[in-house]
Amino acid sequence: MTASQPKEKRFVSPLQIAEDQMLIGLTLLGQVGYLFWRTTGYMLRLQIDWAESTRQGYMIGVKSLVVVGITALFTGLAMSLQISRELVTFGADTAIGGVVSLALVREIGPITAGVIVAGRVGSSIAAELTTMMITEQIDALKVMRVDPIKFLVVPRYTAALIVIPTLSTYAMFLGLIAGIFIAKTAANVPPEAFLDSVRQTILDRDFAVHYLKSIINATVIIFFSCAIGLNTRGGAEDVGIATTRAIVWTMISIFILNFVVTSLTYAPR
Amino acid sequence: MTAEPVLQVKNIHKAFGDRKILEGVSFDVYAGEMLGLIGPSGCGKSTLLKIICGLLAPDQGEVIRRSDDIGLVFQGSALLNSLSVRNNLALALDGRNLTKKEEDKIIREKLELVELSDFMYASPTRLSGGQQKRTSFARAIVNDPKIILYDEPTTGLDPVMSTVIEDYMIVLSHQLSAASIVVTHQFSTWTRTTNRVVLMFEGKIVWQGTPEEGVKSDNPFMQQFATGSREGPMLTAKI
Ligand SMILES: Nc1ncnc2c1ncn2[C@@H]1O[C@H](COP(=O)(O)OP(=O)(O)OP(=O)(O)O)[C@@H](O)[C@H]1O
Ligand SMILES: [Mg+2]
Repeated sequence: MTASQPKEKRFVSPLQIAEDQMLIGLTLLGQVGYLFWRTTGYMLRLQIDWAESTRQGYMIGVKSLVVVGITALFTGLAMSLQISRELVTFGADTAIGGVVSLALVREIGPITAGVIVAGRVGSSIAAELTTMMITEQIDALKVMRVDPIKFLVVPRYTAALIVIPTLSTYAMFLGLIAGIFIAKTAANVPPEAFLDSVRQTILDRDFAVHYLKSIINATVIIFFSCAIGLNTRGGAEDVGIATTRAIVWTMISIFILNFVVTSLTYAPR
Repeated sequence: MTAEPVLQVKNIHKAFGDRKILEGVSFDVYAGEMLGLIGPSGCGKSTLLKIICGLLAPDQGEVIRRSDDIGLVFQGSALLNSLSVRNNLALALDGRNLTKKEEDKIIREKLELVELSDFMYASPTRLSGGQQKRTSFARAIVNDPKIILYDEPTTGLDPVMSTVIEDYMIVLSHQLSAASIVVTHQFSTWTRTTNRVVLMFEGKIVWQGTPEEGVKSDNPFMQQFATGSREGPMLTAKI
């Protein structure tokens, strides 16, 4: 027997795998729900470490500015180019600003910021908390009678609730600048006409949906990554597994919930 | 020492999956007493300490603690890497509503004890293994706890620093009349600091007595453990 020989393989039916995955998923959702309940409990009683929340805000926000910016800019450029092209064909050049900004406010802004922050921050939170579990830092907190949820999750969620909507708005503005640039260069629509069209199209309600979506994203990112981090045991290789798991779960949830909100708020009547 | 024990460990059983680690461990620890917990690597000493301080639940048996003031020196230090050395200690003081000045005074005092006051504002990640161990020691005792659990407090320290820590453990157990348990592989630590030694093997206590008795014991387990011999009941592998 050499070490490279594969482990004994057993046949596992697809049904069994589906059942196992379902159980794992339900367990995780339970953990997320519990964490949400405990965290918001502290926050409603204003038991928040503001200094730590500021530090987390810096880590989540400032360090995501460049990536979110570049992503939003290029998504905005590509999207505006497509939209301009089609609208010019229909002779509807003056509507470019409206259509581009609708897409940005309702969909692209929140989803770009959400996905980028999920990749950058969700994964690093899951890795950090898993490492803290493995190196017994969480146990150390418990022995000192410090609640890990209050110490770790509350400041991260507080920060995310402020920073992620800000990043979404920032992504939206950069996309808009890309739109103005494309409208001018590709469709010869002057910035004033573009902005006029934006003003006529965008309603307060669109901004409400924008913030609703980004708050949902913040919630999903923080609670999935924290729940996964705080429930992983084992060794160094589990840090990688937890990180991947956090990204997969947050991304999927962000896209699904984004659609749910869109369908509840913008379904054709 | 005639009063009730501060800590009672009663018939503890613990298994991880189907691997039985602890199979009926019982002992009492009184105020001012230092119990040495020794045994081969992997026999469940750290697991037992975690059960005693409530981090793990036993499968069977119970732990009775007559104080909630409990300090644990982790085998792997377990310092919070996101905080400075100072704030690691401050965290343990959190519940006491001290001013920053009072906190600083206590923290500096404890750090001076382990010769680390120069590292008060350093990140634990910048410390050597032994320095981390000493910080973990300072953090565990910063509250003057009534129950102190030391998981290999002198492992990885130079002989001089080991002696310093051992001396301080002795002083603390008298000063605070704390009930202490020290897990150690270091001969000097259990012979110098403890009043009573418990030897664990395969989930059970196989010998107990004073360290003086331990050194001279003709119990085959204790004899093999004290001398570190290959010959005896603890080892089946041959070269
Ligand atoms: N969370 C856990 N899950 C599964 N097995 C574990 C867990 N913690 C410890 N063990 C196992 O329990 C046994 C006892 O571990 P423990 O850390 O208590 O040993 P120890 O006596 O402290 O050893 P050492 O002297 O090497 O520190 C080991 O075999 C270890 O693999
Ligand atoms: Mg151990």
